[in-house]
This record gives sequence, C-alpha cells and structure tokens, in this order.
Amino acid sequence: MNWSDLLSLLRIALHAMVPITLTAVGEIVGETAGLFNIGLEGILLISAFAGAIGAELGGPAVGLLIGMGVGAAIGLVFAVINTYWKGTQMVTGIGINLFAMGLVAFGLIQLGAPGFRAVPRAVQLIKWKTAMGAMSPIILVALVMPFVIHWFIKHTRAGLILKAAGEMPEAADVAGINVNRVRLLAATFGAALAGLAGAYMSVAWIGSVTKDLSAGRGFIALATVVFSGLNPLLALLGGFIFGFFQGLAEWVKTLPSKPIPSQFVSMLPYIVTLLVVSGAIGRVRFPKALGEPYKRE
Amino acid sequence: MSDNDVKTPSKLLRGVHRTLTGLHPVLESLLAAVIGLLIGAVLMYIWGFNPWKAYWALLQGAYGGSYEWASTLARATPLILTALTFSVCVRAGMFNIGAEGQLFMGAMACICVALFKLPVGLHLFVGLVFAAVAGAAWSIIPAVLKITRGVSEVISTIMFNWIARWLALYIAIYILVDPSRAEKTLSIPLTARFPILVRGTDLSYAVFLSVFVALVLYFVLWHTTMGYEVRAAGLNPTAARYGGIRNKRTMIVSFVLGGITAGLAGATIIMGNPPSYAAFGGGAFPELTGAGFDGMAVAMVGRNHPIGILVAAVLFGGLNAGGRVMQFYGSNPVPLEMVRIVMGAIVLAMSIPELIRLFPMAKAQGQRLIAVLRRKPAPKEGSA
Amino acid sequence: MNRHVVPGNAGNSNGYLLRAEGITKVYSDGTVGLRAATVEIHPREIVGLLGENGAGKTTFTKILSGLLPPTNGRVVSPEGPVRFASPREALDFGIGMVHQHFALVGTFTAAENVALSHERPFGLIRLGRTRERLQKLMQESGLRVPLDVPVEKLAVGEQQRVEILKVLSRNVRLLILDEPTSVLTPLEVDELFVLLRKLRDAGTSIILITHKLKEVQSVTDRILVLRRGELVGDVKTKAATTERLAQLMVGKALEGDTTAVELSADQLPQARARSKKETKGDSVLHVADLVAKGNTGDIAVEGLSFDVRGGEIFGIAGVEGNGQSELVECLTGLRKAVSGAASIKGTNILGRDPRAIYKLGVAHIPEDRWRLGLVLPFTLAENAILGVHRWKEFRGPLSFLRWGKINRHVRELMKRFEIQATGPSAPAKSLSGGNQQKLIVGRELAKNPAIVVASQPTRGLDIGAAKYIRDLLIEMRNNGRAILLVSADLDEVLALADRMAIMYEGRFMTTCGPSDLNREQIGMLMGGVARKEVVG
Repeated sequence: MNWSDLLSLLRIALHAMVPITLTAVGEIVGETAGLFNIGLEGILLISAFAGAIGAELGGPAVGLLIGMGVGAAIGLVFAVINTYWKGTQMVTGIGINLFAMGLVAFGLIQLGAPGFRAVPRAVQLIKWKTAMGAMSPIILVALVMPFVIHWFIKHTRAGLILKAAGEMPEAADVAGINVNRVRLLAATFGAALAGLAGAYMSVAWIGSVTKDLSAGRGFIALATVVFSGLNPLLALLGGFIFGFFQGLAEWVKTLPSKPIPSQFVSMLPYIVTLLVVSGAIGRVRFPKALGEPYKRE
Repeated sequence: MSDNDVKTPSKLLRGVHRTLTGLHPVLESLLAAVIGLLIGAVLMYIWGFNPWKAYWALLQGAYGGSYEWASTLARATPLILTALTFSVCVRAGMFNIGAEGQLFMGAMACICVALFKLPVGLHLFVGLVFAAVAGAAWSIIPAVLKITRGVSEVISTIMFNWIARWLALYIAIYILVDPSRAEKTLSIPLTARFPILVRGTDLSYAVFLSVFVALVLYFVLWHTTMGYEVRAAGLNPTAARYGGIRNKRTMIVSFVLGGITAGLAGATIIMGNPPSYAAFGGGAFPELTGAGFDGMAVAMVGRNHPIGILVAAVLFGGLNAGGRVMQFYGSNPVPLEMVRIVMGAIVLAMSIPELIRLFPMAKAQGQRLIAVLRRKPAPKEGSA
Repeated sequence: MNRHVVPGNAGNSNGYLLRAEGITKVYSDGTVGLRAATVEIHPREIVGLLGENGAGKTTFTKILSGLLPPTNGRVVSPEGPVRFASPREALDFGIGMVHQHFALVGTFTAAENVALSHERPFGLIRLGRTRERLQKLMQESGLRVPLDVPVEKLAVGEQQRVEILKVLSRNVRLLILDEPTSVLTPLEVDELFVLLRKLRDAGTSIILITHKLKEVQSVTDRILVLRRGELVGDVKTKAATTERLAQLMVGKALEGDTTAVELSADQLPQARARSKKETKGDSVLHVADLVAKGNTGDIAVEGLSFDVRGGEIFGIAGVEGNGQSELVECLTGLRKAVSGAASIKGTNILGRDPRAIYKLGVAHIPEDRWRLGLVLPFTLAENAILGVHRWKEFRGPLSFLRWGKINRHVRELMKRFEIQATGPSAPAKSLSGGNQQKLIVGRELAKNPAIVVASQPTRGLDIGAAKYIRDLLIEMRNNGRAILLVSADLDEVLALADRMAIMYEGRFMTTCGPSDLNREQIGMLMGGVARKEVVG
C-alpha cells in the first residue's frame, strides 16, 4: 500500500463516515430524550430518494433540504405514535423500514428505471478540491455536528430538559416540562439529521439511488450509538471506524490481485460492528426510560 | 382499584363482555389492515392509478379461484415460518430481527443435499434437518452474545443478516454453484423436493409443514412447561427468576426455536419452489429476500399467536400473490412494490396500541387544535 | 394576581387560602377516586390528610397539584376559581407537592434538579446562580443537602430533603407531602416535623398525607379523614382522640379486632396465638456472617448471623432500605452473597438458584408482588403454578402441562384462601391487591414449606386482607413451620413475632423478644442509636 492509496482510502473513509455519524448523532439526541428509533434505515432510504428528486428539480441545496424535510416528517410520524399515542417504538421502526423499502422501490419503477436512478452530475453537490482529492463539504458538517450536539446536551437548559425527559420523565413532568413535546422535538430533529445523511448519499456522495442504497447504515448507526454510550464525540469516532472499514472494503475490491473474495470484505463492517459493540457494552449506561412511553400515574 | 363499584349484573353480560374483549385484538388487526390498504390507496391515487381497480385485481389474483388460492398459500408458506421466528422471541421478551439471515443459512444448508444421494423422503427429511440446524446455529450466536456480553439482540441480529447475505452469496457463487449455470446454485434433486400439491401452481406440500410447525409451536408455548417458562420470562423476567426459571435458558430456547423455523422457511422456499429448486446468487437471491421482514409484519398482525399468524399469513400471502396479478392488470398496472408499502403501513398502524381508541382521541385533539387556532379555551379532556 | 385565576367569579376572601368545592374524580376504568369533597385550606396551618390505602388521599392532592384534572367540581382561591392543567401551573400559583416516589432525576445533582424545575427552556445552564439561591434557602430553613452529588448517590432521607428544597425554592404557599415519613427513621421523622412547624410559622400551609395516627396527631393543626373517596371527618387535632380518628378512618371498627386500626403492642392477635404452648423446634434456617452487596455495589448486609427455628416467627423490623431486601434475596437465591454461610436444615443454600432453594422447602412471599410475585398479564391459573410448574401432578408426558389438574388445584386454592375472582382463567391484573397477595400466599403455602420467608406481606393491603394473611402466618407457625417475617411495619412485627431483630444499615442492632423493649427504645434502635445507649 503506497501513500496515494492510503490517502484515497482515507478519503473514502471520511465520505463513508458522514451518513453514519450524522445519523448516529441524530439518534443520540432522540435516545437521550427516551425514544429509540429502529426505523433510521428506512429514513435514510426515503430521504436519499427524496433528496435525489429534489436535486433534479432545484439543485443540490434543495435536494439536501428536501431530504432533511422528509426525514423530519417521518421522524414526526414516529414521534407522534410513540409519544402521544403510546406506541411500541420497535414495531413502529420496523414499519417505517418496510414502508421505505416498498416506497423507494415503487418510486424508482415509477420514474422509469427499476432499481436504479442516477443523479445527474450537474445537480450533485460540488466537491472541494483538496490535497486529498475531491471532498464533499458535508464532511465538515459531520465533523462539526457532534461537537455542537455535545455542547448542546451538556451546557444548555434544553439539554438538561432533554436528559430529564429520557431519564425520569415523571420528574420532568412535575417540573412543568411537556415530556411528550420534548421527545417529539428530539426525535424529529434526530430524524432530520438522518434525512440529511440520506440526501447526502444520493446527492453528494454516491450520485445515484438504488433500492438498497442504505445498505444497513441506519442499523450501523444504531450500533454506533450503543458504542458511543450516547456521547456524540464517541459517535464521531465510531462513525469513522465504520467508515474506514467500508472504505477498506471498497478499496480491496479495486485491487487487481483480489487477495480475498469481495464477499468477505463486504462483511467486514458488520463484523467489526459486532466486535466493537460486544466489546463496548457493559460500561454503557442508557437513559432509564429509554423505549418506554410516558404515562402519567 | 380495590373496590370497583361497577358490578356486572349477570353472568350473561359478563360472557358478552369477555367475548368482546377477546375479539378486541382481532378487531384491531383488521382495522390496521384496513388503514394500511387505505394508505396504499391514497398513494396509488396520488401516482395516478385507480386504487379500486388495482385492489380488485389484487383481490381476484389472491382469492379469485383455486389457482389463486394455491398461489396465495404458496406465498404464505415461508411467511408463516418466519413470522413464528419473530413471535416466539417476542413471547420470550426479545426482538429477533434475524429471520432473514437465519433463512439464508437454512436455504444454503438444504441445498447441500444436492451433493449426495438418498432415498425419496429421507432425502427431503435430511434437507429439512440441515436447514433447521443451520438456522438454529446462526440464531444461537446473537443469543449467546446477549447473555455473555449484553449485546442488544436487535443490533446483533441485523448485523448477522448482512453477514449471512454475503456469506450465502459467497457459498452460492463459489461452493454450491451449478457448473452449467453460474448464476444459480445446484438444484435440489428430485428425491428431496416437496411434491406439488396443486398441479400447475407452485403450491407444494411444504404448506403442511408450515401449518404443522405453527400448531406444534402453539402447543409448545401454551401447553408445555418449556413454553410456560418462555412466556413467563418474556412477560416478567424478575418474577420468572423468582419462580425458579432460568432466563438465560429461555432466551436460548426461544432463539433456537426461532432459528429452526427460519431455517425451515429457507428450506420450503428452495425445496418447494418450482421450477428451478435452487437459489439465484447471480440475482442476489430475489426468491429469498424479503420473507424475513414480511414475516415480522405477519407476526404483528397475527398478534404473535401461532393461530393468528396462520390467518395473517393468508392475508399477506394474498397481498403478494395478488400483487403479481395487479402489476400486469391491463390498463392499470401497479408495481408489486405497492404491496410492501401497504405492509409497512399496516405494521405502522399495528404499533399504535388501542388503535380503535385513537379515533375519539384524534377528534378531541383536532377540536383542541381548532380551539387553539381560534384562541378560545380548550374543551375539557374527555374522561376516557 | 396571577393568570390562572379565571376572572369574573370573585369569591369573598374569608381567610382561606384555597377551597376545593365538590371535587369528584372518576377514573377511566370507572373507579371513583373521590366523591364530592369540599375542603378549605387556611393560611399557616398543617392539615393532616388521613385515610387507608385507596381512600382517595393521593387522588385529592394530585388534583390540587395539577397532576390530574377533576371530573367534577372546582378549586377556588380568594381571587376566584383556579384551574391547573399541569403541575407547573400549580407551582406557579404556589402549590408544590413532594411525592412518595420522588420526582428527582437520579443522574442529576441536587442543583441540576432544582435548575430543571426553574429555568425556561432556552439559554445556558447557570448552575452558579441556582446554587447561591439554594445555599440561602438552606440557611433559612435549616435543611442541609450536598448540592453537587448525583441524587441517586444520596440516602433516601437526603433525597427527600432535596425534593422539599426544590419545592420550597419556588416560594410555595401550600406544600403537600405524600406519606413523607414512610422512608424515614424515627429521628428523621422528628427532624422533618420540626422543619414543618418552622415552615408553618413562616407562613406556609402544609398538607401532610399519612395513614399513621400518631404522626398526624403530633404535628398537625387540623385533620381531614377520607374513607373510600369520601370526606368523612374534618376535626381540630386538639379535639380528636385516637379512637375517634381510627373509627372515622375505617368506618365501624371491626369487632374485637384492633389490628384493623393500628396494631399496638398490648392488643395483639398474638394474644390469641400465644395461648398455644410454645414448643420450639430445631433450627430450620441458619445464617452466619452473611455479607451481601446492594444494587449500587455498596455493602448492604454486613455480617448477619441468626437462626430461625420451627414453630417460631422471627421478625426483622427496621426502616426500609437497611438491607432487608438484600438479605431476603440472598436467602431465596435471587442475589449472590459476598461471603458467609446460610443453610436450610444443614444444606447450604448460598449460590444456589431459586428452584433448588424452593426444593429444600423454602416458600417466599416477595415484597414487591407486581415485580416479583406475579406475572400480571398471566391468568390466575398460570400465576398459581409459578415456581411449581414442574410439579409431577401438573406435568404429563413430554412435559405437557395438565391444565385440567392445574385448574382443579387453583379452584381449591381459591376456596381455601378466599381469593375472589371470576375463575382460574381471570387475568391476574384484574384482581384487587388483596386478592393478588392471597394468591401469592396461597401458592407459597401450598408448597408445604419448612420455612416461609415473608417480606412485607401485608403492605398496601386493606384491613381485612392484611388480617387474613397475618392469621395465616400464625397458623403456619402453630403447625410447626419456621417463619422469617421482614416488615417495615413495626407494629406488625411486634404483634406477630416470637423473637425479633432490629435492622439498621445492614446490621442487627439487637435481637430480643417483642416485649423486651418499649416502643421508644425500639424507635431509637431503628434510627441507629446503639443498644447500650438505649437500654442504659
């Protein structure tokens, strides 16, 4: 492996990090408030699709915004069901995933090409030319966002309220906080970040939509959240690790010598996720009321 | 709570009341199905299709005649099994999202019977055993990880799904590949195939296997000490421990049972699916993909009860079978994927407890919203 | 004066702070929590709210503090009717409530907990300012708590003080305390009462919810008595006798049985039980130097040694949270001991699982019947075989459950233990608390045990059920069984036990007969005062 290989590997890793980190950081906000959204995978997929259409209609910025908006909208549905309607979070998430798989595949067919749609170069988000090659500006967002959220949770009153809603909603309620509304906002914001991540994939990174574009990234983001113990800074690190292994898999596939079958390389990120998560658990403490709907009395 | 003043006047009324509360879950499942179909209809309308024509085609294609029924039941066959996977684990208090991966491993394992010869019947049986063992083995790892390392089974089973998919692809391309046709695996030999039940359809005797397994699991869960322990541990693990039940054991038991059924689901798809009786690695397994996730939807609509699952599987099998007709329906061809959308919407609706209650609630909330908009005091909350 | 007052209907301010008019609460399941209660609260007074479990005390105060909307009736202040849609609005008005289960975020410090209820959602956390204000408040009130330790690390009494401080920091005019003494030692109770009087003299009104007669008489100015959702008494404390209050609380006194009101050391069901000649058997349970950790990892049981013999009730009294739960869990296989020994008739039980211990003849009536004792969504029959589901009678070939036999067994249990239910297939959660506990007790006693470990067996039960269960324990003892009774209800231990120990911070302060010490001495021991000092 020479110097330029390493640089290109790093470049791929940084790009692959973005969706996982953004999604994970968003989910950290939601889980801090007590909502566990297993539907992230579906949100990534739908927002990638919506983002691609948005980009074709109004350019890359519109695409990213529409992706975020669609993500937030699904997050809102999830949140309403699981706050005011006391739903089962796991089941809602599974429903979102199924729905997304169907909707995107359906939409792709309706747009002409079953299973695939390219986002024209002209409407993709421009990449900055750097010493390491073309880099997407969204990488900056993914690098900064964890710090912002970390600061937000730690030092603002809203962060305090967020933690209280997840840890002891009864106490928050007595303190005059509308637990359901806090959770609603948190989950919607988290899903909006996942939406940005999805739109990034189609509009700013891969440049196309397929019906399995998300490829488990939503679930890997969930694993990253577990790994991070709800610390956004660790989610950045975790996102990078997973991104790196995805990058490694891509890179190995391009090698002419094929040292191992590509299927095994493709497995790597998932195996690493498992290893990391099984190593990380034990020291992690999650909010007490995570996954529980809040009911008075 | 201790003294409820409202006393039911007579035994008769009490009986009626019990029947109604007993029917309650059934009504809710039905309502969820209706909501899902309505959402699908709205989407079709938006996209310029005629939803009524499409649903008519779907209904015809699913239940219009004996051929259609056979097709529906054929689709339902693996769904019953993967739904059981999910629901056995839910009964034990866990979310096993891994049916998909376990099904892949089961499918690959049963294709191994193509490598040797055995008499009719025995060959089939050996294939089923292979599939069950492979599914259980793949399923037991997340359970062990949960017990020893505390890894959430939701995360680990999903990771195992992806690992299984790539592993199965490798096996299909490099090991069990058909030398004459590289895009598919070896075909199951005649001696190990499920016989076709209705000539001219793909409904095989595998459907009896599914129904049989569902009945067996019903008896296991409700009529044996093992099932009793699994359900107790699922509903209240602390009380179960107090009652001398070893929770780790019930976790393993439920995951093994789940793995077996998912593995068998893979086997029914490969060994009971004419004309190729093989898996297509070249197309990334179109025949195997999706059964695992659809199974979860079936399990939820079937209320995680084996008997309910049998009914729900006929509904979802019908959606799949009818969907195939719907997509070729003359002037109004709606893509098959619409069925997935409907399923997702049904599951979303199922996640809302006391679905029926939502209607008055939504009305009250709407009124309150209007009141807020008009800057008038909100109406008092209903007593319910 | 404030925005919660609905204008128009101005009341005449004849010296009340708050008036509840005809408050009725009907829960969604049809239960009537409160029936047309009309009450006035005056400034500068401590009002005792007395009643049994389920009498409507908590319902009433939850309505006052904005947690529940009343079904009917209204709350009036001198400025006019008020309506609180949330606890926050009640707080803004000046009504604060300290709940039985504290509304504190465990991972937050005291300062953060206070900040949470104070600050508006936007902006940065300014803990410095909160801390200053709290320091001032602590000086004024004499309440002291550490401000910068996560509250889950604090003792229960300290947590309660944090909770009171939190409410006081909002300048409340009416402070409501829900059973504040149930988690405190007698000494802490005295401290609390001193504080309450001080607050009253400074101008705060206080509502004190309790079901303990002595407490309510010692600190309040006026007593309201609730029974089955109805206000049945409103008396000046000075004019009320214990007997009168007790009668109001329970309705007509149960004939010849004062357990109904409050067990007292000289009027015991034991008097009846003691008449049987004491014949103590051999040691059934032997415990030596047992050490165990609590959930937080701190040592909770510090080297206990004792024996329980056949034909005796060994009672462990003490304020909850002093290691009793951990002790019971060690003895029943639910918790690992750190060191020491415990055996049933010579067979070691430490490190064995609950099933093995049950086979040695241990029945366990757990303290938390919803968490441990029952699987609530299960039916009566399914619950009745929890732990004994592997019995030969219930198990056919292929370990099939014989539901026919099980149902017959359950019907017998229902008859023998007076469990009121529609039948074996009724869900356990549809049973009343008393019947649930009878189901557990029946199931455990049907094991025909050598020793019964009964932990808080009558907590939260109505009088009839509690009495029934106490009688059953005595009957078991008279049949030669050993009984280990752990109860936070001192009177229950005094009434039932043949020998008793007082537990404080994981140790026995003393082991004695129930009549060896007087109540004051026992109270001091429960509060951690060494025996030497107590007995002199």
